[in-house]
Amino acid sequence: MITQYLFYFLTFTAIFCALLVVFSKNPIYSALYLIVTFFATAGHYFLLNAQFLGAVHVIVYAGAIMVLFIYVIMMLNLNKEVEPHKSNIIKIAATVCGGILGLVLIAALRETELGEITEYSNNGIGLIEKLGNVLFGAYMVPFEISTVLFLSAMVGAVFLSKKNIH
Amino acid sequence: MILNDFFIFMKQELMLLFIIFLLLLIKVGKDRSNESLLYLINLLLLINVIAGFILPGEGSLFSDMFRTNPLIALEKNMLNIGTLIISMQSYSWLKSHKHLLEFYILMISTLLGMFYMISSGNLLMFYLGLELSSIPLAALVNFDLEKKASSEAAMKFILSSAFSSGLLLFGVSLIYGTTGSLAYAEITSHLSTDPLQIFAFVLFLAGFAFKISAVPFHFWTADVYEGAPVAITSYLSVISKGAVLFVFVSVLYTVFKPLADVWYGMLFVLSISTIIIGNLFAIRQDNFKRFLAFSSIAQVGFILVGISGSSSMGTAAVIYFVLIYIFSNLGAFGVVSIVSSLTGKERISDYKSFYKTNPFLSWILTIALFSLAGVPPAAGFFGKFFLLIAGAEKGNYLLISIAALNMIVSFYYYLRIVKSVFMEPNESPIESLTIPLISKVALYICLLGIVILGLWSVVYDYIFTLSPIF
Amino acid sequence: MLSLENIINGIHTWLNNTFDPTLALTCEFVLLGITAIAIFAVLGLVLVLMERKVAAIMQIRKGPNRVGPFGMFQTVADTLKLIMKEGLTPDGADKVLFNLAPFIVMIAAMLLLAPIPFAKGVQMWDINIGVLFISAVSSISVIGILMAGWASNNKYSLLGAMRSGAQIVSYELSAGLSVITIVILTGSLQLSEIVNAQQNGWWIFKGHIPVLISFVTFIIAVTAETNRAPFDLAEAESELTAGFHTEYSGMKFALFFLAEYINIFIACAIGATLFLGGWMPFHIGNWEGFNAIMDYIPSSIWFVGKTFFLIFLMMWFRWTFPRLRVDQLLNLEWKYLLPISMLNLLVVTVMAIMGWYF
Repeated sequence: MITQYLFYFLTFTAIFCALLVVFSKNPIYSALYLIVTFFATAGHYFLLNAQFLGAVHVIVYAGAIMVLFIYVIMMLNLNKEVEPHKSNIIKIAATVCGGILGLVLIAALRETELGEITEYSNNGIGLIEKLGNVLFGAYMVPFEISTVLFLSAMVGAVFLSKKNIH
Repeated sequence: MILNDFFIFMKQELMLLFIIFLLLLIKVGKDRSNESLLYLINLLLLINVIAGFILPGEGSLFSDMFRTNPLIALEKNMLNIGTLIISMQSYSWLKSHKHLLEFYILMISTLLGMFYMISSGNLLMFYLGLELSSIPLAALVNFDLEKKASSEAAMKFILSSAFSSGLLLFGVSLIYGTTGSLAYAEITSHLSTDPLQIFAFVLFLAGFAFKISAVPFHFWTADVYEGAPVAITSYLSVISKGAVLFVFVSVLYTVFKPLADVWYGMLFVLSISTIIIGNLFAIRQDNFKRFLAFSSIAQVGFILVGISGSSSMGTAAVIYFVLIYIFSNLGAFGVVSIVSSLTGKERISDYKSFYKTNPFLSWILTIALFSLAGVPPAAGFFGKFFLLIAGAEKGNYLLISIAALNMIVSFYYYLRIVKSVFMEPNESPIESLTIPLISKVALYICLLGIVILGLWSVVYDYIFTLSPIF
Repeated sequence: MLSLENIINGIHTWLNNTFDPTLALTCEFVLLGITAIAIFAVLGLVLVLMERKVAAIMQIRKGPNRVGPFGMFQTVADTLKLIMKEGLTPDGADKVLFNLAPFIVMIAAMLLLAPIPFAKGVQMWDINIGVLFISAVSSISVIGILMAGWASNNKYSLLGAMRSGAQIVSYELSAGLSVITIVILTGSLQLSEIVNAQQNGWWIFKGHIPVLISFVTFIIAVTAETNRAPFDLAEAESELTAGFHTEYSGMKFALFFLAEYINIFIACAIGATLFLGGWMPFHIGNWEGFNAIMDYIPSSIWFVGKTFFLIFLMMWFRWTFPRLRVDQLLNLEWKYLLPISMLNLLVVTVMAIMGWYF
């Protein structure tokens, strides 16, 4: 019972704050609302018994990535007057297109017949030991390749930010 | 046993990883001259190409995360050859560049990503390979740090690439939600023409179409190709597209086979609009790189015609065409790269009377453009021929006739360049250039490739025997 | 017996017998809240006074000794002063964020009190990812600091906040890696299990040199994370006019000030729990006699003793080392501490697999 209330509370928080991210005029407020959205999503992970994933979600997203976002926004010092506005026609067209995409998605969801949902007997499926076993067992290759991805992204980022020494 | 399998199956990836780490260690060590480094790296890439042809295995590792068979090994070898040619062609540009090692580290990382993407048997590995192949490219597009056009191109590239990756990932997650697995084998057994699965497929197709710049998703192509350095433009247009096309063909024919009727209509629309728009826009271009961007969009349209036939000839035709496309496009880009790095001129109107001062380069350019256009003795003709035959399997002659008519339109803009190179007068033509030996060898390889592939059928027969019957 | 554990169990059973379970749970929550605030208040009082006295003794002077015997009520007087000061809000400041920032930092500090084992059987929330929870919540305080700096509409505040934020985010890495070495040796993220695994000796003795290295790294990292000297460039008076809390006065400044000292306490408590055995008395292997004597001293005294020893260590640092410039600080982390922590992690993993520890 209480998990159901918690689920609805977290869902509404997440959706509401996600909408506020898009609609708020101040970019720092957007970043802060995004942080709240991330906390709500982490709460969902905890409800699904994926504790490690929820904690790591908070550490990585809310704690590191959003801090970097806030740094960049602070350095850019955006103001409402400076930002170039798109013409109204484009805004209307974009809204219509997004709305149509949403409509098609909802229609597809309604027409779909749900398959059987296999109930996993709760044998500790979100716990870290199981996660470690799977990560270093069957999913070894994606794990190692993601390290190469990080390495090359770092090389690229360091290269892009080099100053010209003349 | 499993360790032996690991080393044999993954040997191409392991070699690339070795090269990346070697370059990183060289970077940390003491400074060496650019020329010696370039010789070393080109030698390593050559060894990589040669070693890739030895012992192609067949099997899968790590519960189908990594599959390999001779066809996949051949595809990877083609990409290797392409990378080697690009590396040799950009010798004169890189000789005096400060960030030589970063260039190669990033480029080989993207190549590694493409290899993993091609040989994946699981949507997770596929997505990871896709990301590994596109994120370092964003840094590479910005390689000319001083030019503003480069930074603008990089911004456009990364923003649209991230957005399309997001769409693709949404499609993948919907597929996972409706089928319950990410492995290719299990997805096929659970797919049916369920509306949500079709929606997921459309998103998936959107992500793919972005990478191969099919028409409604092509808006990033012209600006990114124009702003990036020539070597990166050639890499994007040939290797990046080629890798994604390989995956596209195999995924479409195996994983999404139950949805065959659905994607036939989508590919029909995509291919027609791609060919028409690519041709129309290529007619008016003056910047050579932008021109080659739109011409490559049109070529992709032809490939989509070949894919939409969904026959066993489709796979062979596409792979054969990508090989021809590698050689012809790199031939054209090679000339542009040499001219651009030695003189800085990039406009078509600067190439008037090119023949009088640089006969060798203008012959290479001519043969490459003939091949791209599809003029008979050059290999491009046979490539397009096989594609159209493969596309005609479904009996849709409207598609074939539109494609054939557009070939005639494309003749105009390709041969227009040939005409201006040979016949139009120019007060200040491009001066006679001394081409470094390595780049000359690269151009000869492209020429040889075009000629051999056009005149001997050995390669096509080999590919045809390897491609599976669907 | 009159141990904390028995008192708490007694209250728990009495509540459950008298009221129905949900109401009992709610009562417990309220009691925990009051306890947390009380701990805050007491700790704040004690730590501020301790800092001033320790500083004084190291500088061969007397420190506060007017208000109450040995200056015991000095902090009370300070708190009264801060409460009665006017709380100014600068003109162009972003009012919502300006007022919210001190509370976020306080919330992070309060949440961190939950998983710490204060004595045997006395732990507010024994979550099975305790260590990860601590890492996650300490990332929240960075956001509060950045908000404070931004909302003050003051260049020095913004600069101080950004430097402080960069410092905290960087040193979080080394601190996390040091903590993970202990997790590897124990095999569990749960704090009560980590303390129980030190039954036959504290990790700093059992895991000889590598754990000693990670202890040193941890102390350095945690000193930097709490913006404490010699890493206090962001808030030193002579540098950036008090950094991100320049514009705060009155009660809000008191909240920042208090949160900083609570963070010091929590960091040292974590260090004591992981490396020095938490509430576990000083046992030597399986020597029964010695262990029984050590057991006689209550576990809460052990815990408080170890934590305050580490706090004294951190206060000692302040008057021993000169202040580091911000580029030296970041250099230290990224080029020295992080590689050392990573290599140490590798060594500890090998050690744990091979069983080369006591």
